[in-house]
Amino acid sequence: MKLGVILLAGASALAAASMAFAVTGEGSAADAAVGAPDGSVRRLTESQYRRAIADVFGPDVRVVGRFEPDNRVDGLIAVGSSMVSVTASGFDQYEQIARGIAEQVVDKDHRAELVGCEPGAGDTDGRGCVSRFFARFGPRLYRRAMAPAEIARFTTATLEAGRTLGDFHAGIAAGLAAMLSSPEFLFRFERPGADGKLDGYSRASRISFLLWNAPPDARLMEAAAVGTLDTPAGLATQVDRLMASPRFEDGMRAFFNDFLLLDDLDSLSKDSVLFPQFNANVAGLLKEQTLRTVVDLLVTNKGDYRDLFTTRRIAMHRALGPIYTVPVAARDWTMHEFPEGDPRTGLLTHAGLLALHSHPGRTSPTLRGKAIQEALLCVKIPAPPANVSFAVVQDVNNATLKTTRARLKAHLDDEECATCHRISDPIGLALEQFDGVGQHRVTERGEPIDASGTFAGADFTDAVALGKLFHDNADVSSCAVRTAWRYATGRDPQPGDEPGIARLQSDFPKLGYRMTDLMRAIALSVTLNLAPSAPASKQEQVAVTRTGVPVS
Amino acid sequence: MNKLPRCGTAFRLLSTLPLIAALPVLIAADTPTGGAPGVRSFVLTNIFFSGPKEAGTCTQLADGGVESFYNSLPPAERAAFADPAKRRDLERLMIKRLGFKATKMPPGAENDTDAIKRAASAAGFPAGKGRAAFANKRISYDSCTDPLDFMQLAEGYRLYDGKIAEGANLDGKQKKGDFHSASGQPGIDNQVWKALGCTKAFRDVGERENAREVLMSAAAPTLIEVRGIDDPRNDPDVTVNVMAASDALARDGRGGPLQWSSFATDPDPALRTTTKGRIVDGVLTTDPVDMRLNYKEQIIDAPRDLRSARIRLTFNSDGSVDGRIDGYYTLASLYDSIEQMSQAGASASGISCPGVYKAIHALADGYPDRKTGRKTAISSALGFVGVPAFAVPPERIAAAGKGAGL
Repeated sequence: MKLGVILLAGASALAAASMAFAVTGEGSAADAAVGAPDGSVRRLTESQYRRAIADVFGPDVRVVGRFEPDNRVDGLIAVGSSMVSVTASGFDQYEQIARGIAEQVVDKDHRAELVGCEPGAGDTDGRGCVSRFFARFGPRLYRRAMAPAEIARFTTATLEAGRTLGDFHAGIAAGLAAMLSSPEFLFRFERPGADGKLDGYSRASRISFLLWNAPPDARLMEAAAVGTLDTPAGLATQVDRLMASPRFEDGMRAFFNDFLLLDDLDSLSKDSVLFPQFNANVAGLLKEQTLRTVVDLLVTNKGDYRDLFTTRRIAMHRALGPIYTVPVAARDWTMHEFPEGDPRTGLLTHAGLLALHSHPGRTSPTLRGKAIQEALLCVKIPAPPANVSFAVVQDVNNATLKTTRARLKAHLDDEECATCHRISDPIGLALEQFDGVGQHRVTERGEPIDASGTFAGADFTDAVALGKLFHDNADVSSCAVRTAWRYATGRDPQPGDEPGIARLQSDFPKLGYRMTDLMRAIALSVTLNLAPSAPASKQEQVAVTRTGVPVS
Repeated sequence: MNKLPRCGTAFRLLSTLPLIAALPVLIAADTPTGGAPGVRSFVLTNIFFSGPKEAGTCTQLADGGVESFYNSLPPAERAAFADPAKRRDLERLMIKRLGFKATKMPPGAENDTDAIKRAASAAGFPAGKGRAAFANKRISYDSCTDPLDFMQLAEGYRLYDGKIAEGANLDGKQKKGDFHSASGQPGIDNQVWKALGCTKAFRDVGERENAREVLMSAAAPTLIEVRGIDDPRNDPDVTVNVMAASDALARDGRGGPLQWSSFATDPDPALRTTTKGRIVDGVLTTDPVDMRLNYKEQIIDAPRDLRSARIRLTFNSDGSVDGRIDGYYTLASLYDSIEQMSQAGASASGISCPGVYKAIHALADGYPDRKTGRKTAISSALGFVGVPAFAVPPERIAAAGKGAGL
């Protein structure tokens, strides 16, 4: 069966099916979602979409296609996901991806396992089969209960599509593709429960995406269905279960990937003449290095968040040896510990971050400092004025101003520039002993590199000393709490949220700065105590038409 | 802007040498940035017959086997093959007329002499002839497998006729036939350059600048590790390990060798040599020692056996190294690398296997056989270029593979 061709031929049936699903009776969950005025809407990120499909249909159902790029707002994709829509071309992409998935679900390799039935004696038109299919997968995909009437509507439309296409399974594929193209799947709707706070399924999604970066599993859905998540004890039981799972690592990886902007390493390129050791493979490994290091310290060893800035332990890969100029015995990943006194210590000296916030051919204390101020200290640095001249800074062959520090100092003669550079540059200059791809160096064009500076009123001599200051700085740990809260809720805090955030921040030291405990506290507080999050603005909220197709 | 405190010389020294203070606590940690203190390792990206292009030498290059065959043809036939475009036809004629043979190696027969002989006989080889060739994929009988049977192809082979060569005075004597170094040092023993220095293929790669552009034996490069360095410019006592790597050389974004890569060392003790050395003004020299260097390139797998070999290595300011290994190259291992080139490789490279065979045996000047008195090795100077690397012993690789990793 050439399902792809049939699906294309049956596009009108698919559209009809989508239309049919949208033309619903009163009181359906779908209508409740579309019309939920107080609920926040967050688009699934690409990784969440892929995880959802793997969880529901199995890892061998491939997700092929190009996704609309995720949108980072105020440093977090998690916040940006509340402020995105789907463009017309983006919807086409989602639809193509959905068709590809649906085609695989009903193909000969998966049909028996995932469909498991067909028209026959006692079910001549296959209505029972289709109904069971949607009853099995629909709630998992929509992350909520589906009323019998809603399943019946999907079933009717699917059977009609099958008749139009002349193929029962092609009809199922069309119905499934419509479901996967629906905003109910593509977006996370948070709905109010009876008490005005999140309903059970919204709570399930919130803790599942926070802790696993994945949709709720069957046990969590069951807990939502029976109301277990409505009680502090029931919610805590599920939170603890999720955190005890190996999949908690996925959740923490997703958080730090977003927090530290590590996805940007996927598209990072460098001047290969100046940095021949760097390539796309190395960039990917640098991202993985930071994530593995974070997981090792904060999840596996339940460590202190602040130690991220002073730990000498780092995940190391054979292919990263040339960047770090260390021998690597393992042929893939291993944990490496730099000796005391080594210039490499802590997150600030991870080559991935150093490379990410540099120019293609040189370092940038300003970019590095700005990124660290914004991500790790929650300090917003404004963009430079449009008419600023970078001529001196960019003159890397300047005969007298040989070091970046010297050129930046000259640049700061412009008082307008100096205002922001005074905030960003001291931190960035501390990292100047690492070049544009994060390789250690002690000189620049023959001149010794001065990596000293002042942070929060304390002098430091180099990146290692700065890392110690970060370790002990309350703003650093408080920023982590705020960012984790924003990540969990998908929005920037409103004035009414501040007391709760302040409480989390003041509790963080009592928790030993353990990130796992912080995530648990956030999972409980933002799930149990908060009402559904309001989107940033109505204009930025996804619009959903009556056909079920979101538009920009 | 903030007035950043400027640190003085003392700070810069500490910054430049951050690892010195760390030495006492290294036991509990892994290698620091830059590698273990006092240890520098290099992967050799090319090892080549080192010889200068002395002005006025080799005005006529040595004929390759094909050229020699061509010159042996009657004028009418030579005219028929004079066009360079006819070279493939000329090679086919040589194969046919000289009776070269080749057949596929039967599966599993690579190390079975009897099976090879049976297959050769079945393919119509002359009685008793037929040797494994072309990376054991073929059985061949030609001027490379059996040079003594085709000595007519040594006609037109020419020896290097210069007076200057790179190398060392290996025997401590000044003899007739010895070279001078470019700086005028007499008694340079480098008879292999005399044997090969007018053959274009060796002559071109013998130039250091050309050698830098080419990775040779990249699948199994050689590592030089210098340990016990207290002063990288002058140290009277260092230990030098010469080892084979089990890992291949990787290229960087410029197409050159990737620096600071980690290489597992080959566990074969025959491929590891340790000797003592000293560094004077940034130049390392070692005591003589026998060593075996891996040489794997395309279809060639012919380890170089060197006797009484000594290393002269210059540490360059960019972290790379240049140098030479001077010693006696055993004839058996030297010709093995030529033979493995196969007739096809020799013809493509313009090399006369019989010419090389004859020359190196005639000029052999070291390690006489106790029974026959024939020299079994030839003095040589193998140039090398290398980049910084890390040598990782096999036990550390094994430990990492047993759960030390993530």
